Amino acid sequence: MAEEGLFVLPGDLIDPSFIPSHPKKPLRLGPGLRHIPPNSILPTVSGQVYTDNRKNSIWVEYNGGRYVPSTNDQVIGQIQRSAGEHYYVNIAPYASNAVLPHLAFEGVTKKTRPQLNPGALVYARVALAHKHMDVELECVSPSTGKADGLGPLVDGMVFNVSLGLARRLSMSKKENSKVIVLDLLGDAGLVFEVVVGRNGRVWIGGGSVADTVLVGRALTQTDEEDHGPEAQKNVVRRLLSERK
Amino acid sequence: MTISAAPDVVLDHLSKADGSASYSYAGYAVTATVNGPIEAQRRDEQPFEAIVDVIVRPAAGVGGTRERHLESILCSTLRHLILLKNFPRQLFQIALQITSVPENDYVNSKLMQASSSQNLSVLPTLFQTAILALVSAAVPMKTTASATTIAIPKDYGSPLLNPTPRQVQTSSSIHVFAFTRQGDLLLSQSDGSFSQDEWDVAHDIAKDVCMEKKREEVDVMLDDDESQTQNMADLIRAEAQMKTDSDLHWK
Repeated sequence: MAEEGLFVLPGDLIDPSFIPSHPKKPLRLGPGLRHIPPNSILPTVSGQVYTDNRKNSIWVEYNGGRYVPSTNDQVIGQIQRSAGEHYYVNIAPYASNAVLPHLAFEGVTKKTRPQLNPGALVYARVALAHKHMDVELECVSPSTGKADGLGPLVDGMVFNVSLGLARRLSMSKKENSKVIVLDLLGDAGLVFEVVVGRNGRVWIGGGSVADTVLVGRALTQTDEEDHGPEAQKNVVRRLLSERK
Repeated sequence: MTISAAPDVVLDHLSKADGSASYSYAGYAVTATVNGPIEAQRRDEQPFEAIVDVIVRPAAGVGGTRERHLESILCSTLRHLILLKNFPRQLFQIALQITSVPENDYVNSKLMQASSSQNLSVLPTLFQTAILALVSAAVPMKTTASATTIAIPKDYGSPLLNPTPRQVQTSSSIHVFAFTRQGDLLLSQSDGSFSQDEWDVAHDIAKDVCMEKKREEVDVMLDDDESQTQNMADLIRAEAQMKTDSDLHWK
């Protein structure tokens, strides 16, 4: 059994002993891997390979590049225009627009649908991501009919971060012990809400404009300069001292 | 002028692009950016695969026929590496800016007024930079590859790896090869007159430089202290590993 976090380049051979095997569950290939029948599994990006024996899955962790939508990702999109029964939503710059049906919001009918103007922000889930079709979004859970926090984002600001940081931020606290900048700011008494989109966009709002900008700056600095926990504390301390 | 300096690589230094790389070796320096997959223009898009758009910009002036030629060679080579079928109707844009070219001390030439053989000798640097930028942009690829130039001197001397402009001028033929890390030939461009045997020799030298060594062979080579020439595949691996380690330090 090879070590966790083994570095791979595209086309490297993955040691078969490293690939998890489960008597019943099918093997699940995560991002960055492709299967060439009958039995070779090759990485397509450079990164570190991780496995989960319980879920019988294997995937490559990497940071960077452009957001490529995949089903069930929660993303922050910007409305481009409305046509017919859909909004056209931008989820990554220069990428094709995704479509968000007017009726894919919680408890709406044709009469009560939300009126979103070009430029409005929505927090949505990717309902369909197929390479041959337009990406489809929804702001409502199809099984329960509840919004579960999805929907239009009002006020606040969006900050761009790397895909890797967006992924870290959307993890539970247990898995993500090294990005503590938001916790530090919260402990310092700032009031703010955070919405993390997997497409590398973070919405911050709910408090005063000054605090929103401060939180955004702390986050983007942490991302751009790859700060560890100690450096994050310094950034927060400096920004808070400037706030007074 | 002998090339003793190790190749210089910077990855992901341009924040607005999806991926970027700067690479300099043997007197040539190139900066590359990669954007993609992005929306292709309606009239360009292909229904079943992505298109690759390579743009080469010379060190001085605007590009001409020479750059279009390099673009077409690079484009058809890179198409074999990128998993185009995964991104129908999309576009990968690779922009390559040549930032410096080696000077020929014997000829007082204007920048980039090169003969066709010198045109070829910039190709490996362009290719190598493009690959590094693609790795940095996390573009799904089948494998990585590297390229190198070999010149066969007129006096039947031993073939020269990464020749200087002067050596190119005084050689009977020059050859550019690109190999995947696994040692498959991707690109072969030759200029000048040469025999099949000379081509074979050049091919074998280039393959040795571009192909990744097996772990045991590397150890043996280090013992012999013969690893004077830089192995291009090892270079890509080392740089990509460094980038990944710093990217995933939050893990």
